[in-house]
Amino acid sequence: MYQALLTKKYLTRKVMPMLAMAAVMLSVATILITWSVMGGFLKTLIESGRTLVGDVAIVWPNVGFAHYDDLIERLESDELIVAATPTIETFGLIQLPDDRIELISIKGVDASSYTRVTDFADTMWWKPITKPTPKDHKRADLRLDPMYTTMLGQMEQNGIAMTRPNPLTGEIEEAGVMGIEVTGLNRRLSWGGYYPLEPNRALPDGGVESIETFMPRDGQVGLTILSLDSSGRPIDPVMRTIPIANEFQSGLYEVDQGTIFVPLDVLQRMLRLDEAQRVESTKDDENPFATEFDPETGMVIPKMKQVIGVDPARVTTVLVRGKEGVPLEQIHQRVKDIYNEFALAHMGEVPDSFNMERQIKTWEDLNRTMISAVKKETGLVLFIFGIVSFTTVFLVLAIFWSMATEKTKDIGILRALGASTPGIAWLWIRYGASIGIVGSIVGTALGYLIVDNINAIHDWMGRTTGLVIWDPQQYYFIEIPSEVDLSKAIIVFVVGMLTCVLGALIPALHSARMDPVKALRFE
Amino acid sequence: MSTELRQSATSTNTTRPVLSVRDVRKTYKLGRVKVPVLHGVDLDVRKGEWVTILGASGSGKSTLLHLMGGLDRPDKNEGNAASVKFHDRELTRESKHALDRYRADDVGFVFQFYHLLPELSVLENVTIGGMIKFGRLGYRSHRHEIVDRATGLLDRFGLSHRLKHRPAELSGGERQRVAIARALINEPSLLLADEPTGNLDLKTGESILDAIIEHRQEAGLTLVMVTHDERIAERADRVIRLVDGRVSED
Repeated sequence: MYQALLTKKYLTRKVMPMLAMAAVMLSVATILITWSVMGGFLKTLIESGRTLVGDVAIVWPNVGFAHYDDLIERLESDELIVAATPTIETFGLIQLPDDRIELISIKGVDASSYTRVTDFADTMWWKPITKPTPKDHKRADLRLDPMYTTMLGQMEQNGIAMTRPNPLTGEIEEAGVMGIEVTGLNRRLSWGGYYPLEPNRALPDGGVESIETFMPRDGQVGLTILSLDSSGRPIDPVMRTIPIANEFQSGLYEVDQGTIFVPLDVLQRMLRLDEAQRVESTKDDENPFATEFDPETGMVIPKMKQVIGVDPARVTTVLVRGKEGVPLEQIHQRVKDIYNEFALAHMGEVPDSFNMERQIKTWEDLNRTMISAVKKETGLVLFIFGIVSFTTVFLVLAIFWSMATEKTKDIGILRALGASTPGIAWLWIRYGASIGIVGSIVGTALGYLIVDNINAIHDWMGRTTGLVIWDPQQYYFIEIPSEVDLSKAIIVFVVGMLTCVLGALIPALHSARMDPVKALRFE
Repeated sequence: MSTELRQSATSTNTTRPVLSVRDVRKTYKLGRVKVPVLHGVDLDVRKGEWVTILGASGSGKSTLLHLMGGLDRPDKNEGNAASVKFHDRELTRESKHALDRYRADDVGFVFQFYHLLPELSVLENVTIGGMIKFGRLGYRSHRHEIVDRATGLLDRFGLSHRLKHRPAELSGGERQRVAIARALINEPSLLLADEPTGNLDLKTGESILDAIIEHRQEAGLTLVMVTHDERIAERADRVIRLVDGRVSED
């Protein structure tokens, strides 16, 4: 009982506990802010990684697999699966409007089903918006301008449908959607938006030629890929010009800087993965001048190849979206089961389930390298801050040692009045716990307030001191992640409190073991 | 110590002593140097008796008081049968916890320099003795009783208007009265006072002494007082002189 009274008195009448409390508070706030920001960064990154992947991907690279329509039908008839879509993934070269040639990841997608499986539709950049982006305080985003609403609305629809009217004929053409950073012609602004630039083509005489184009309106790119033979081996380079319907921003710089989406059938044709007739192969195939007798006309004609069947169209990937709220692993397993049934139904025509086992991946598997890198960075930063914050233990220990020394006579008095050694130890531990609780509560509240207002604080710092740490021109996310996870807050709070108790423990034991006579004589 | 002196210090009264000290020795270590303070003290204190221990500074008076109060233990030398008995309890063999209980239940300490807790108010300084004695749960059920007793004692010592003041706001005499009230809060049977007037002027010292004596007479309290003031010693039932750690006269 006396411990409660003295704790209250010591807490309210001394500077030292305030210092200890401040140390705990700052430590708790620092850890919570770091963890929340880094955790938020990781979460945003992971969510961005999922944007264009869906939940589970069935991948059979290069040669692809047939009968995907049947697989999709089987998948979509399952209660755990919302939608599935066929895609093809390959690499090629892209010729940009200023004639630069870059390596690019080309994805062939079926626009209507791809938007059901992924958040592709939401990633369209050129679309009308009504609310400015968080840092666009001056409403400088041209997408807000009512003058462009109709045009941008059309561009958005074009992008989602992956078609675009020919600027000269008005005829609807199949079109591609590419990452906002691919051309390098969209200048990223300080508030995180883009301003389209006109490309300049370098000329052999050292001059430059300005090209008046805006990609979603009249821009087009050239794609070059290697087509495949029936065994999946690359054979001939195929080049095609693709109009651009829109540009997308997924939130992952690597994706937005090196990806183009084209209609599935376009890529199937280019790669020769579309449906084709199967012909009989004979020895005469080697002789281009082989002839045969036509019984209808009675004439000798060049020998025709015998059609013996149809090779169905193929895709390299089927993406699957699971029902909301169902655990990812459950969806993963269900997709494997369905593929197993599918493989049995098309035995000999599609990869068997044994070979496909490792090719059915969750979106986490697909982004594992990136996610684990950021997780490790988060862990490292937390570890470093944890060590720095651990110094709080020693700070509290030093402060408590000093306080316990200052209160030596009080300890002697209490012992003379009959206080026991555990009672004295409990006095200091309780005192430490009280400081820890108060410091952790204030620290958690402070951390929460700072994280919650971190963007406003950051903006204010930028305005007043010119210090911009999170620059949207460099970082891909416009705003600093500002979400405090309750479980993290609880962990940080408890650790902060325990830190203080740990710091108080040694002074507590020292005080408890103090000789009461010496304590009474202490000057 | 001679047999005569030992017999003298243990008193001629035939009633059983409340407190009995036998062959108590104590040596302190000052770094590597051993400083003997008590050289084999024998002493009996009977119920309701006021014993004053007279002696010069360094004669071991306070050390003897601490040993009697269970704050310290005598040396355990080979062949040394040191004993400090309170009624039938051999304090030298009691556990730490038992000594804590002894100090909380049976003994009241008054110190020369008051030793009040500076953060607490006058009333809290007195009731804290009750808090220690009864513990968390016990205090809740005895709270009113303890507070009433504390206010009663403080009222009796003329401090009813100072209940919420802190020690720093009190005079020396007032502080010592608070210390006496604190020593009496648990109604101990033995009051150990270590030069209670040593830090006060003559008049205040007299009033403090009067307060102690008055209470002692009413409550039948046994009082052991350490002092070097002959005038105080004259008022005691019995005076024991301690010279260089030995009882030299009773």
